[in-house]
Amino acid sequence: MARRDGIARGALIASCTPVLAFLLLPSLVIVPMALTKGQMLQFPPIWISTHAFTDYLGDPDWFASTVLSFKIAALAVAIGGLTGAAAALALHGKRFPGKGLVVGAIMAPIVVPLVVLALGGYLVFAWLHMVGGWIAIGLLHGTLVTPYVFISVQTSLVAALNPLLVRSARSLGAGRLAVLRHVIWPAILPGVAAGAVLGFAVSFDEVVIALFLQGPQTVTLPVRMFTAIQFELTPKVAASASLFLALSVVVLLTQAAAMRRRSA
Amino acid sequence: MNITAIVARDPAQATQRRGHRVEVDQVWKSYTPGTHVVRDVSFSLAPGEFLTLLGPSGSGKTSTLMMVAGFEDPDRGAIRVDGRDVAGLPPERRNFGVVFQGYALFPHMSVLDNVAFPLRMKRIGAATRRRAALEMLEKVGLADFAARRPRALSGGQQQRVALARALVFEPDALLLDEPLGALDRQLREALQIEIKQIQRRVGVSILFVTHDQDEAMMMSDRIAVMDQGQIAQLGTPDQVYLHPETPFVASFLGETNLLRGVCVAPEEGYATVRFAGAHGWARISRGRARPNDGDAVRVSLRPERIALLGANDHADCAVTGVLTDRVFLGRHTRLVVQALGQSVVVSTAALLAGSLDVGASVRLGWSREDAQILHET
Repeated sequence: MARRDGIARGALIASCTPVLAFLLLPSLVIVPMALTKGQMLQFPPIWISTHAFTDYLGDPDWFASTVLSFKIAALAVAIGGLTGAAAALALHGKRFPGKGLVVGAIMAPIVVPLVVLALGGYLVFAWLHMVGGWIAIGLLHGTLVTPYVFISVQTSLVAALNPLLVRSARSLGAGRLAVLRHVIWPAILPGVAAGAVLGFAVSFDEVVIALFLQGPQTVTLPVRMFTAIQFELTPKVAASASLFLALSVVVLLTQAAAMRRRSA
Repeated sequence: MNITAIVARDPAQATQRRGHRVEVDQVWKSYTPGTHVVRDVSFSLAPGEFLTLLGPSGSGKTSTLMMVAGFEDPDRGAIRVDGRDVAGLPPERRNFGVVFQGYALFPHMSVLDNVAFPLRMKRIGAATRRRAALEMLEKVGLADFAARRPRALSGGQQQRVALARALVFEPDALLLDEPLGALDRQLREALQIEIKQIQRRVGVSILFVTHDQDEAMMMSDRIAVMDQGQIAQLGTPDQVYLHPETPFVASFLGETNLLRGVCVAPEEGYATVRFAGAHGWARISRGRARPNDGDAVRVSLRPERIALLGANDHADCAVTGVLTDRVFLGRHTRLVVQALGQSVVVSTAALLAGSLDVGASVRLGWSREDAQILHET
């Protein structure tokens, strides 16, 4: 019996490893590529140097793009956090005809193809003379962040907000604002945080909208990487991509921490 | 904090703060057109009184409580506190302490902050509210747990924190919605006593909702038995138990025999009832329409109010029957006797009961005060 179990386990590992490797390799290859000595992005890399990282951070254009991407993501999270959390609160526990349509509209930015969103945004912002400004990209990214925050806040409302808590608070003298601050906010805080972190990552590496709405002063980091890979093939691309990888690890860790706290 | 000082001051406080009068006046409530969950309910909670709304689920007791608390609006009728109509006020401006079955403590706050919360809502200074909350925790015996989170407490402790939180702001009345429903039997009994003691100490009026008749009997000054959205009967525990007015009240509160008969010669307060093969006196409720001569009636007679009679014993009413079943239950013996054309259940502690065999002829007797003519609804 034990031997057959061992064989079965061996077969399982043997079949899973290539699949996992296939899934992870494209991500993991980035870091060694960034550590190359060479001046070109090439595989296999010539080890080992950190000059790609110092070049990346020392180049004013690349640095400006990085700051810009952070700025845009921050604005997008602020907007998406507010709208997503507000929408989840407004719809929580309510039943009315057409609720499905409202939820559909909130979720639309995830479902609608990005090019459609980007083109539509381009046309509207062109009319408003806002194309080429970082605010336009941040606003449109905000619509992209909204559904992520909406879903995670909705989840924490269902999981952590006992309706009796609201009733209790009101009977103890809390008006609507006090209920929001003392009862609802603590309950949805983990949801808001998880949605915000995820939304930040979504905005930070979004490339289609950023490409459509870019201007001479507003080239986001992913857009700069995209252009660089076409024209200069510098290892700075791999260095900046490592930054993305680090960010997504942070996202995964926060989510895991949130899950553990919820189940605890 | 000085414990003796608080305890010593207590009786004075109790007389000083006697609670308020809460009136529910002809209140109706409907969620779907055509069906009323609360129908024409009226009662008055006297200052310092413990009044229980008792009924099965769906009888309208919780809906009534929620209307008093302000979470539901009555379709018709008035809710008054000391004569002032509060029906239009939101719950946060009604000044009632409400305790729910699930305790509903704020999980992210310490026990102390939970109890201080209503004072914080009243914008009372941090030092004052801390002192008042500690004092109230002292009264429910949980001052040592002030710094803990609610989750670290047992169910019974959480319920006492919920009570302290509902009492700390000196509410006009305490509204308790099945507060002990989630606890096991032993803990429930301990908390029943404790709630009564806390009430005596604080002197607050309590409106209590439960479906547990023993709990209602044990705790209440008066019980309003609710059935299908109406108050079927309102009275002291012994009134509703010993003199039930409707078949529902008679059978919801403990076990009873419902004897079928015909009313003969009704008088003020009493009537003769003709049963199959016997006559007997029975009581008519005051305040209810008197049955007419010749009306078919049902009479409620509690098993423990029926006596086994010896050959020379007398009673207001006596009948002879045949024993069909006997079960010894320790504290008492349960007999089933075929008499008056039906099965009559008798619960007796008499030693005589042990020597009876099934098939024996027995004499049963009862006082006319214990036979209650029911008002058919």
